[in-house]
Parts: sequence; C-alpha cells; structure tokens
Amino acid sequence: MINDMLRRVIALVKKEFITTWKDPRSRRIIIALPLMQLLIFANAITMEVKNIDVAVLDRANTVESRELLSRFENSPRFRKFYYVENESLLKNKIDNQFVQIGLYINNDFSTNIKKKTPASILIISDGRQTNSASIASAYATQIANDYGDEISNVSLQLNPTVRNWFNPNLEYRWYLLTIIVAMLALIITLLLTALSIAREREMGTFDQLVVSPLTSFEILLGKTLPPLVIAMFLTVIMTLIIIVFFKIPFNGSAILFLISVFISLLSITGVGLFISSICKTQQQAILGVITFQMPAILLSGFISPIEDMPQFLQHLTMLNPIRFFMLLVRGIFLKGMSFNDVFYNLIPLVLIAILTLSLAALTFKRKLD
Amino acid sequence: MKILFALIKKEYLQIIRDPSSIIIAFILPLVSILIYMYGINLDTVKVTIGIKNDDANPEISTLVKSFGHSKYVKSIVYDNQEAVENDITRSKIRGAVIIPNDFSKKLSKNQPADFIIITDGSEVNTANYVQNYSLQIVNGWLMASKYKNISTKALINPIVRVWYNEDLNSHYFILPGSIAVTMTLIGILLTALVVAREWERGTMEALLTTQAKKIDIVLSKYIPYFTLGMMSLSFSVFMCIVVFKVPFRGNLFILFFVSGLFFLTASGIGLLISSKLKNQFLASQVSLSIGFLPSLMLSGLMFPINSMPLFFQYLTMLLPPRYFISFVESEFMAGTVWRIVFINSVFLTFLATILFIAVYKNTDMRLNK
Amino acid sequence: MLTVKIKNLTKTFNNQIAIDNLSLEIKKGKITGLIGADGSGKTTLIRLITGLLVADSGEISVLGINPALNKEKLNPKIGYMPQKFGLYEDLTVEENLKLYADLKNLPYDFDKILTFTKLAPFVHRLAGALSGGMKQKLGLACALMGTLEFLVLDEPSVGVDPISRKDLMEMVKNLINPNTTVLWSTAYLDEAHSFDISVVLDKGRVIYNASPNDIAKNAQEFEQKVIDLMGGYHKSASKIAQNYPNLDSEIICRVEANNLEKKYGDFYAVKNNSFCINKGEIFGLLGPNGAGKSTSFKMMCGLIKPTKGSAKIMGIDISDNPSKARSNLGYMAQKFSLYGNLTLKQNLDFFASVYGIENDRKKERVEEIVEIFDFKNIQNQKAEELPLGFKQRLSLACAIIHNPPILFLDEPTSGVDIIARKEFWNHIKSLSKKGVTTLVTTHFMDEAEYCDRISLFYKGETIALGTPCELKKRVGANTMQEAFVNLIKESER
Repeated sequence: MINDMLRRVIALVKKEFITTWKDPRSRRIIIALPLMQLLIFANAITMEVKNIDVAVLDRANTVESRELLSRFENSPRFRKFYYVENESLLKNKIDNQFVQIGLYINNDFSTNIKKKTPASILIISDGRQTNSASIASAYATQIANDYGDEISNVSLQLNPTVRNWFNPNLEYRWYLLTIIVAMLALIITLLLTALSIAREREMGTFDQLVVSPLTSFEILLGKTLPPLVIAMFLTVIMTLIIIVFFKIPFNGSAILFLISVFISLLSITGVGLFISSICKTQQQAILGVITFQMPAILLSGFISPIEDMPQFLQHLTMLNPIRFFMLLVRGIFLKGMSFNDVFYNLIPLVLIAILTLSLAALTFKRKLD
Repeated sequence: MKILFALIKKEYLQIIRDPSSIIIAFILPLVSILIYMYGINLDTVKVTIGIKNDDANPEISTLVKSFGHSKYVKSIVYDNQEAVENDITRSKIRGAVIIPNDFSKKLSKNQPADFIIITDGSEVNTANYVQNYSLQIVNGWLMASKYKNISTKALINPIVRVWYNEDLNSHYFILPGSIAVTMTLIGILLTALVVAREWERGTMEALLTTQAKKIDIVLSKYIPYFTLGMMSLSFSVFMCIVVFKVPFRGNLFILFFVSGLFFLTASGIGLLISSKLKNQFLASQVSLSIGFLPSLMLSGLMFPINSMPLFFQYLTMLLPPRYFISFVESEFMAGTVWRIVFINSVFLTFLATILFIAVYKNTDMRLNK
Repeated sequence: MLTVKIKNLTKTFNNQIAIDNLSLEIKKGKITGLIGADGSGKTTLIRLITGLLVADSGEISVLGINPALNKEKLNPKIGYMPQKFGLYEDLTVEENLKLYADLKNLPYDFDKILTFTKLAPFVHRLAGALSGGMKQKLGLACALMGTLEFLVLDEPSVGVDPISRKDLMEMVKNLINPNTTVLWSTAYLDEAHSFDISVVLDKGRVIYNASPNDIAKNAQEFEQKVIDLMGGYHKSASKIAQNYPNLDSEIICRVEANNLEKKYGDFYAVKNNSFCINKGEIFGLLGPNGAGKSTSFKMMCGLIKPTKGSAKIMGIDISDNPSKARSNLGYMAQKFSLYGNLTLKQNLDFFASVYGIENDRKKERVEEIVEIFDFKNIQNQKAEELPLGFKQRLSLACAIIHNPPILFLDEPTSGVDIIARKEFWNHIKSLSKKGVTTLVTTHFMDEAEYCDRISLFYKGETIALGTPCELKKRVGANTMQEAFVNLIKESER
C-alpha cells in the first residue's frame, strides 16, 4: 500500500525533474537568472551615497568660507565641484541635474563668525531624488557642523557611545544580501510551482493524472517535492556565495538555518501551487504570481519597516511568508538567533504552508468540471 | 494595411475575451499604487527603542519621558540588561539607550556625560534612525534641562532647503517613480506570452501561409499591447495626480510622449522574450524571473545609481525604467526641464529601436522543425 | 500543366531522414490524395511545399515559384490548412472568418460558406466551443476563401464523423474552381479512393503515384492495395493479449451507466444515458461530432461530474471512490495528452509507475511495449515531436501498460495509418477474449464492425443500441456507414 503510493509519487517527482531540471533551456533560466541577479545586486547596490556633485556659490570668498569648502573637497563622498557666479547659474545646475546638491554662502559669512553670531550656510538638495538627496544633505550638514564646532571651541556635554550590534560598521551589504537571498528564493520557488499545474491543464495532461490512480494527496506531494528540492539547492548555493565571496558573517546554527529555509520554501511552494491550481492557463498563472509576489516583496519590511505601516497592512503581512523568511535568514545569519526565537517565527510559516497546501489539494479535485 | 488592421482587431478581441490582460493592465497598477502609497514610507520612520536608565536622579526621569513624547519613537522602558539584549535579537526593539548611573553627576560637573546607544545593526536603515533619533532626543532634552551649558552655541548654522519637494513628502517621488517599475512589469507580462502562444497553439503556422508580412505580424503585436499599456499608464498617472494629489508641475503632453517611448521599450522586452523562446512555459519563467526585481533595485528608485561601481552604472543604462524614473520624477516635481527630457528621450528611443529590431529579427516566418 | 514539381528533395531532422531524395509532380486541376504510414513524411512534405520548411537539398517549384525563396509570393495563391488548424479558439466563428477574409483581402461574403458548412446558427459561438467536426469545417472554410490556385490540406478529416467528412468533401468540390489543384493528406482510404490521383509515401519516398482506380475498383480493394504497398499486414497473435493476466471476477456488469445526464445551462449535453458493458465486451460509442460522446466518456471516468445519474466501474461508483474505481481503468483521451517534453520512453516509464507496476517488472514491461508497438527507433524522441500516428500509438500504449481489466478509448485510431489500425484492433479483439472490457469511440465505420455492441449517440441521447448486424438490419443498410447515416436521418424525422 505504502509502497504503491511511494512508487507513484516517485514517478511523478521524476517526471517533474525531467520537465524543469533536465531540460537545458529551463535549467539555464532557473539557475542563471537568479544567480546573475544576486551577483549584480550584491555588487551594485549600496545605500551609501557617493560621487556627489556639488554646485557652489561662494559670495563671501573669505578664508573661512574657503576653509569650509576645502572640507567638502577633501571628503571622499563628493566628486565634482562647479563654482558658479550667480543664483541663476546655481539654479540651472540643479534644475538640469548636473549636481545633486548646491551650497550657498552669503557675503556676511565671515563677519558673522567674527561677531560670534551663527553664520548661515544654505544647503540645497534636489528633492526629485529625495532618497539620495536627503542623505547627501545630511553629509553636508555634518561637515558644516564639524567645522563650526571646531572654530567655536565648544566643550562637549554629551559623549555617546554607539554600539551597532551584529554589524559593527553598519555595512549595508550585510543586510541587503541576506534579504536578496530570500527574495530570489521566493522568485525561484514561485516560478517553479505556479506554472506546473496550469501548464498541465493547458496541455490536457492533467486529466490524464486525474484518471490515474494518483490521489490528490499524491499529486500534491509529487508537485511539491521537486520545486522544493531545486529551490532549496539554489538557496544553499546562494547562501554559500554570499558567505564565501561577499564575506557575510554566518553567526547562527546551520541546522536551524536549513530548517528555516525548508519551512519557508514549503510555505511559498504552497502559495505557488495554490495559485497554479486555480488557474486555467499559464497566462493566468503568471498574473497570479505577480499579484502575490509584488506586494509580498514590497510589504516584507525590506523597503519600509512593518511597524511603520497602517494597522491593516500590518495584519496583512502576517500572511506574507517572505516577511518571516527574511527575518529568519537575517536573524540566523547576522544575529545567531536561538532555537526559541527561530521556533517562534516558524509558527506562522507552518500555518501558511498548511493552509495553502490544503487549499491547493482541495482545488485539484474541485476544478474537475 | 488591411492585413495589419485585421490582425490588430484580432488581438483586441483576444484581449477582451481573456480577462487576465485587463486585470494586468488595470488592477495590477491599482494594487501597486496603493501599496506604494500606504505600505511604503521613506520620510519619517517610526522605530521602537528600548530605554534603560540606571541613574536614580529624578531629573533624569524626564529624559526617559521625553523618549515617550517623541512622534517618531515608541519607547519601552527596561530595568534588566538581559531583557534588552533578548528583545533586540528578537527584533522586538530596534535598539536601546542605556543611561549609566553617573550620567547626571557628570553633567552637573560639566564633564562629558557618557551614555550608550545600542542599535540592531542587522537592519542598517533602522539602525541609523535609532542612532539619529536617540541623539536628537537626548540633545533636545539637554537643551531644555537645567544642565544646559550657556556657551554651547554653534557658530555655523547649516540650513537645508529641499527644492521641488518642500513638503519633504517621499510619496511625491515614489508614486510617479513606482509607475516606471510597475509599467515595466506590465509591459513584459502583457506581451511575453502572446507570440509563444500562437506558436504553441498552431495558429502561427496558419498565419505564416497567409499574405501577412513579417512587419504586419510584429506591428500587430506591438500596437494593441502598446495602446493597452498606455491606457494602463494613464490610469496610474490619473491615480497619482487626482486621487493621491501628487503635485504635477510638468506638461501632460510631454509626459505622454516620453511615457510612450518608455512603454515601447517595456513591451519590446516582452515581445523579444516571446518571439525568441516560442514557448509559453519558458517565456513565463523568464518574465517572472526578471520582470520585477531588476527594475525595482537598479532603476534608481530605491538605491542611488551614482554610487554604484562604474561598471554597474553602465549596466543600468540597459534598463528602460532608469530613464523613465529620472524623467517622470523631474517632470512631476520640477516641471519640464528640457535637458532631462531630451537625454532620457534619446536613450529611450535608442533602446526602443534596438528592441524593435531584435523583435523583428527574431520573428520567424518559417517553422524550425 | 503542373502545380508542383519536386526533384531529388531531401530533408533531415537531427540526422533523421524525413524526406529521402523525393521526386514528385502534382498535376494542375486535380485532387491528389497523400497517404502513407505514420512517420512517412506527409506533413514534412506538405510543409516543404508551402515553404514553412526549407529542404536540405533538391529542387522544388510550386506554381512556378520556389517556396524556399519566394514564400511571400506563393502565399496569396495557396490555401493551407495545417493539422492543428490555426483557429483562434477565443474568437467566434464570424470573427475567425472575418480575420481570414481580411488576411486574404476578400470581402465579408460568408453566406455561401456558412450554408455549406451548416455553421450559420453558430456564427456567434466561440470557435473553441465548437465540436470537433465543426472546427474542421470552419478551418477548411477559412483555408478555402478566395480564388485559390492550390489548396493544401493536412489531414482535415482527423476526428471527424462520417457525415461531416462527406460535408468536407462536398465543400472542397463545390467551393473551388476547376483549375484549382488540391493536395489532401488523409488516413481514410475511402476518401483517398475518390480522389483523382493517389500519392503513397513510405519512409520519405514516393512509392505510388497514379490514379487510385488504376489499382482498385472500390474503396475496400484500394485499402488492400495500399496495405500491400506499405509492406502488407500479417495478422499474428497479439503479444499484448498473450501476456495479459486472466481477469477473473464475479462482476458481470463491468461498466455501468445509470441515467447519466449532463446539463450546461438549458442545454443537455447528455441525457438519460444507460448501458451496461459485460465482461470481455467491446462496446462502441458512435455518433456525429458534438453528440455528447466525449462528455459521456468523461463522466464515466469521473472527469466531469454528472448532473444526474451514476457511473460504476467494476461495481464501484466513480464518484464514491474514484481512486479505486480508476485503478481498473486504462484511459486514452481524444486530444493528445501525454507529456510532450518527455521522451517516448520516459512517458512509458512514468505511466508504468503511476499505475503501480513494480520496479523490477517495469523495465521488462516497457521493453515489451516498445517492441509490440514498434517504438524501437523513436523511443528517445520527445513525444511532442512525434508524428500524429505515433502519438496516438503512444497514448494507447500508456493506457494499457498496466494490464487494466477495462479500457476507455476515445477515438484511439484518429490519424493512425491503416496497418497500425488493423494491428490495434487485433490487440483489442484478442484482449476481449481474455476478458478485457472496452468502451471505444471511433469515426472509422469499418472499425465499428469490430464492436460487439454499438450505442449510436445523437444530440445527447442514444438513438439505437445493438450489434452491428442488428443496426444494419434495422434500416436495411449494407455497410455500417450507410446504417449510421440512415439511423441519424430516421431520428431526425
């Protein structure tokens, strides 16, 4: 009995592997595209703002103003400096995006400093690129403040010590890469699962499966295992890449990590199979995937923290497997999360997996007509 | 001409028959814009910070309170170091401020007073917020307290002006920018299967023996999905301006002209995938794999392109949304800036032409097997 | 006058020769039938003639044009209907017609064509919702449009009932002008016998090219001659049946339908359908396209839920315990529905395992099947690349791989060559002697004669039930074909 079942499931698993993995074109897509994206994102993306170009209108043109500007010039974050003569040229440089920020020093700059009254310096940032502009203007403010502190000789009252746990230098890449691994794993799993049943429906082969002695449960099992194994394999490869080539510290337990990846991928497989089971064509299936995938990524806490979202969306993210997946990957990687903490975050994933997989299995049967 | 019209009409009829195209074109942008509007916030992020005060001086309890009064901080008071550490690992709090028992003593002696800011470095963005907010709150408290040192007065006063976005509302650039990411996805999804489907269903074989020329076949795929996409794009723009009240300072005519160029590139990518692969399964896999993440991560919407290593800056030049984001943000926020319109249009035209040629070359007029 | 002139044409796919140094001339104004065994190169030849494929070597000229070089000049002069006809299933009948009229630069004048095809009442129906026969008619109607010089049809009558087949023939004969040349590939030899010229292909070569009347006076005789040309059919004991286990069971009524009914909205697809198929019986379900045969079929194996009534297999109700009921079943769907991206052998392996053949027996079984069905040379080809006839054989092979006591075969021989069909029925006959119960649909009326009992289906209802002899006697017909037509006419009254 069990043997028969096992045989059927193995046959199905084998068939699935042949279709997705043995086919060289399909395999190339599944392996190459995610890995390529990993390498590009890992190397390209940074939150640090560099190569800032600046337009300067120095109406004071004094020792002090030139000293301040030389601080800017010596900062590695700033690149080109355009010295302009008047306001309209300054505006022109900013309007046309030759520069990201503009500096304006009024002609009373040095006199104010000598009078010991605060001397203003205007930092104009290009609000069209708000994200990087606000970071660039923060750098500029910092430089100006430091210079101000230096010439005013104030004694510091506070002496804060900042300790950045788990990532002492706040390397953005550490954070980003753990998240990208989770995102790419999500994408791989969805594209492996969401098409599988819809495609069989379109080709007419699903009828053949239904008429065979395969039970719904066996079909579900046969459809779950291959994508899970492939996605698991690719996730491990990506993890090794970020550890070996990008030197991201792995502080947690490898076993806990593998278990978490497994359960996360299982829950995503459930979502993918559920989408696939309700779709008649592949066109509908990719639509289904995108309608899930886009919100899932945007609302995962990666771009903007979850506690910052409206209450309604916060509740909705409880259904988002990628939210917990990212938390676990990052937590185990960087924080070395303990068993208890991992377990706590796995519960929602297990629930999502149970819910979606059973929905998928139910829909196989329902959709016969 | 008549043949082209007939083929275009056929394509429209198919669009009407299959609700998934309509859903892709109108529901997807709606969902997406709602998510960017309500789920994503880059201006002022609210973070949860733990505070542990070891200084028994009643004056310092006002400092603990001022953490509670901040708009941007949700504070949790701890009296146990271990609990603080556990909650950071668990991501319950994003960081903590620890006030040592000699804090008030040092302040009254006019010595620099030590305190510790701990951040959860595994999430770099929130770690920065924790650091900045904590420093601001402690500073603010100090300025209002009896410990305030009279001589503390900075001589340089940097004033930051954000041009084009005086309200500092990140949605003013995120919403228009997100249109580029969503429309890339929609352009690919709408078109990626339409050629492959004809090959699989055998309708292409019949079409190839009619009088339809290659250019008819190519244009009959471009035109319907282009118009559908432009409707979808207009819908998104309408939502931005009318419903979400994003200020629009540019020229609608120019906006639509450049949008058209952009959508030509987006549908070109989809058609290229479709005509090259001639297989719905593979085309779906490719479009799911590259449809969303590259344009989200590399287009400049979230991460600055200027700061990338040079090679990757060049690589982003292949991404159409990069140009559209640069254009659309400027057109919305600063009005028409001819240099920006021109540069981006030139690149988009160039990409659209290359893609069109590639689609044309990859449209086979014979069977391979 | 010649329409097609081919000299020493060769075409290979992955080192397999499809067309082998072939020379052929097709005369203008004649209907030429193209026949041949599965995989003999019929479709490849047609695609070379239409310019959809380009030959490796040799000369080809169609209407004085080289299709490999000037396909676009040739296109306006020919009408082509591929095997998988290029209908847009999500467009209505009228929209399809209009599209092809526009593509051929013709006015929207469909009255004649609609009357002929009897499609007039369905102009607003989606093409995908038409029955098989009507789809073919619509496909042919699209291909026939305009004043054509050359009409090329690749098996237009596959899966079409005898009445519709006649209609197709009438359509072609009436809607072309006397100067039009027709190249018509078919598996129906009665059809081929009625054409002016017969071209028989074998392994990519022409082995016969003359009038069918030169060698045979009637269709039956012609069939025998073609079989001889193709190497002859030697009836031998069926190996499948030899190795079949004996199927002992108390149940007499192996397959049972009780008042099956399927209603879509107000429309009865199947109404009040009851029958009982005994052990070892071959039960034929006959009827025109769209009569509800496939719907009955799908209800019998639980792919469609009946609105009323029940279906039992080996005494087990299909809706109560589908898994158990189906384990007794070998099912072959009408449309090819195996895994196209798996090789032939991988498909066999898969279905062998799914149907519970133990691993040690499996290899042996698959090899046996490969031998019986003559799959040796093609077992590592992808299923989607096989010629139609071989696809059908593979589907059948997968259906019987686990020695089921019951076979459900929906048009198992559509598009299969004559020798393979004879072999196939030899197997079924032998199996029935071993106690295998078969439910089968077919459009080949000669095949209907093999059935023990026939249920004639029309407009969702059984209009006659009995042995082939009884049915013929009832309407005083000599052949099954005649009986079929007459019985349907009778019920129309």
